[in-house]
Amino acid sequence: MSDAVPEPIASARADGRDTLTEAEGKALLASVGIDTPSFEVCESVDDAVDAAETVGYPVVVKVSSPAVTHKSDWADGIGVAVGLDSEPEVREAAERIFEAADERDIDADVLVEQAMDLDRGTEVIVGGIRDPSFGPVVLTGLGGVFTEIFEDTSHRIAPIDRAEARSAIEELQSAPLLSGYRGSEPADIDALAEVISAVGDLVTEHPIAELDVNPVLASIDGVIALDALVVLER
Amino acid sequence: MTLRQLFDPSAIAVIGASATEGKIGYEAMANAAIFDGPVYPVNPSTTGELFGAEFVSSVTEIDDDVDLALCCVPGPAMPDVLEECGEAGIGAAVIYASGFAEAGGKGEELQDALVEIADEHGISLLGPNTSGFLVPGIDLRCSFASGVEEVPEGNVAVVAQSGGVGLVLAFQSRRQGRGVSAQVGLGNRANVGFAEAIEYFDSDERTDAIVLHVEGTDDGRRMLEACRESDTPVIAYKVGQSDVGEFAESHTGALTGDHELYTAGFAQYGVPTVDATDDLMDAAAALGNSPTPDGPNVGVVTAQAGPGIIITDRIQRAGGRLPELTADTQERVDEILPGITYADNPVDTGRPMPEFGEIVTAVAEDERVDIVLVYELFEEAIGFPVAELDGLAARVDKPVLFATEGIEEDLADQRDQLADAGVPFFETPERAADAAGALARYARLHADNGVADGGTTRVDVADSEVTADE
Repeated sequence: MSDAVPEPIASARADGRDTLTEAEGKALLASVGIDTPSFEVCESVDDAVDAAETVGYPVVVKVSSPAVTHKSDWADGIGVAVGLDSEPEVREAAERIFEAADERDIDADVLVEQAMDLDRGTEVIVGGIRDPSFGPVVLTGLGGVFTEIFEDTSHRIAPIDRAEARSAIEELQSAPLLSGYRGSEPADIDALAEVISAVGDLVTEHPIAELDVNPVLASIDGVIALDALVVLER
Repeated sequence: MTLRQLFDPSAIAVIGASATEGKIGYEAMANAAIFDGPVYPVNPSTTGELFGAEFVSSVTEIDDDVDLALCCVPGPAMPDVLEECGEAGIGAAVIYASGFAEAGGKGEELQDALVEIADEHGISLLGPNTSGFLVPGIDLRCSFASGVEEVPEGNVAVVAQSGGVGLVLAFQSRRQGRGVSAQVGLGNRANVGFAEAIEYFDSDERTDAIVLHVEGTDDGRRMLEACRESDTPVIAYKVGQSDVGEFAESHTGALTGDHELYTAGFAQYGVPTVDATDDLMDAAAALGNSPTPDGPNVGVVTAQAGPGIIITDRIQRAGGRLPELTADTQERVDEILPGITYADNPVDTGRPMPEFGEIVTAVAEDERVDIVLVYELFEEAIGFPVAELDGLAARVDKPVLFATEGIEEDLADQRDQLADAGVPFFETPERAADAAGALARYARLHADNGVADGGTTRVDVADSEVTADE
């Protein structure tokens, strides 16, 4: 393991948390060169509106709190609001999140993030875990039904280089969807392999129990991590 | 830790040796007594002789350099016994008794205590909860199971998590006329585990292939690293695709891990996996008796179309590929047998004939072929092309596998000649095809580009379908 503790891990530890916030998780990914949408963490509704101007519409507004790990399930589904095109929409989404947080008596901010066009790419899941027998392991799978229903995932013992990461992608039954299916544009598989390899390195080098990048949006333009859940070892 | 004292001992002590037939202490002594070196029966409450050796009361009383103790005593007696072994300078012990980590609770504590004593004295512990091991080449039969004296010497080291499966594989190897260089049941792996065994047999001169039977280990990464370090080919059979967790845990005291992780890990570290005990021994016979294949391309020569079709179908599902033969080879085949049934891959001669060996040679010399598989029904008047097959694999530097069918007694003599020539021999078209598939997977996993596909299916995705941005 590396001696240098990355800032996001250090700040979670300093707060006595095992789970990183999404912002911390994305900062961790960004620190190893993984692209994330631009975002701002805001403490008020007005800040959220300003942030939306800064990152540019359309935006996504999400609850940001160490107390909430499954954002889209939280508070009857108001924790994630997607495709917001205007100031009133952002204002309303942010207000609902702050109100729900107050009702539940938790500290929460809102995260305002540049919206990505999911139709422009393929959603991929990249996960890292620390297995009791094998140590750091990376998992790759296509998002949605491919992973949930068909269990079409591949595993590698980390760390792995980019060639090994490529083989993990190519081994998926759904891999042809990434390489251009019925005229769709092929995804940047090299960039995706970089992400898989980087996730393997993170789990290998730091005391991470679980690292879920779900989804990663892979398109012809590149690969971008839309969410990040990082759980540290106790 | 070296396992030399375990697998190549100077002298052996059988602790808890018994003159009562049927007891483990008797059966273990009976099998151990076959060993060429001194074997001492140890039992404080018995006197006289057993298999020509005088009983001694303790290992500390033996005036000889004993390397190995076979412990036929109940679990609770083991800590004292092991202490004595340490005092006597014994470097290795087999513990047959069960009731240790696999039983949980107290058993686990007992095993921990043994490991502590073993570490203190530098003793390699095989087991506990094992049937022991065999090294037929030096008549070393450290097992209480009956029939082990019949397992012949071969060149495959069997490393089984379960002593029972180790015996299954050893007896299979005998029936197949192959034998083993060693057969080891690891049991609870107190301090001799997969990694230690793989390291030892990789450097063992009698061993040309190592097979693993794995239920689950809490040290998977070290096992994989030992596989990668091994110059000797390793093939693995990981049991537990469906949920056998609770049973397996009680069986060997391990966490049965995620099957997918094992399969992916083995592929990543260069180990082809199989799904049956006979597949394991077939793959080992192919890999252990052949030059390393350069690629997955199989050239098939058959004297009958039907078995050839089975083989062709099966090889492709098993990870191999059937390339088109070069024009030169096809011409050569056509010159040898004008009007041949089918001159491309598989080459089908229609029936056994005197030119069959020449055809095999032509296909083996084809530059597109990495692995050769020959099938023919035995025809007494013609026999097998022994002269052509003898030395062919070494000359073309490719595996050459042979499968046949016929009346056993009629073909026995020719079969022995093929065995003497070192030609891997298989009993059905499917098993030969699966062995060729294992060779092909091995070649893929060890290809320079490092592409590792995860198992026995979907192999062509990596080759053809995802090439968009290369």
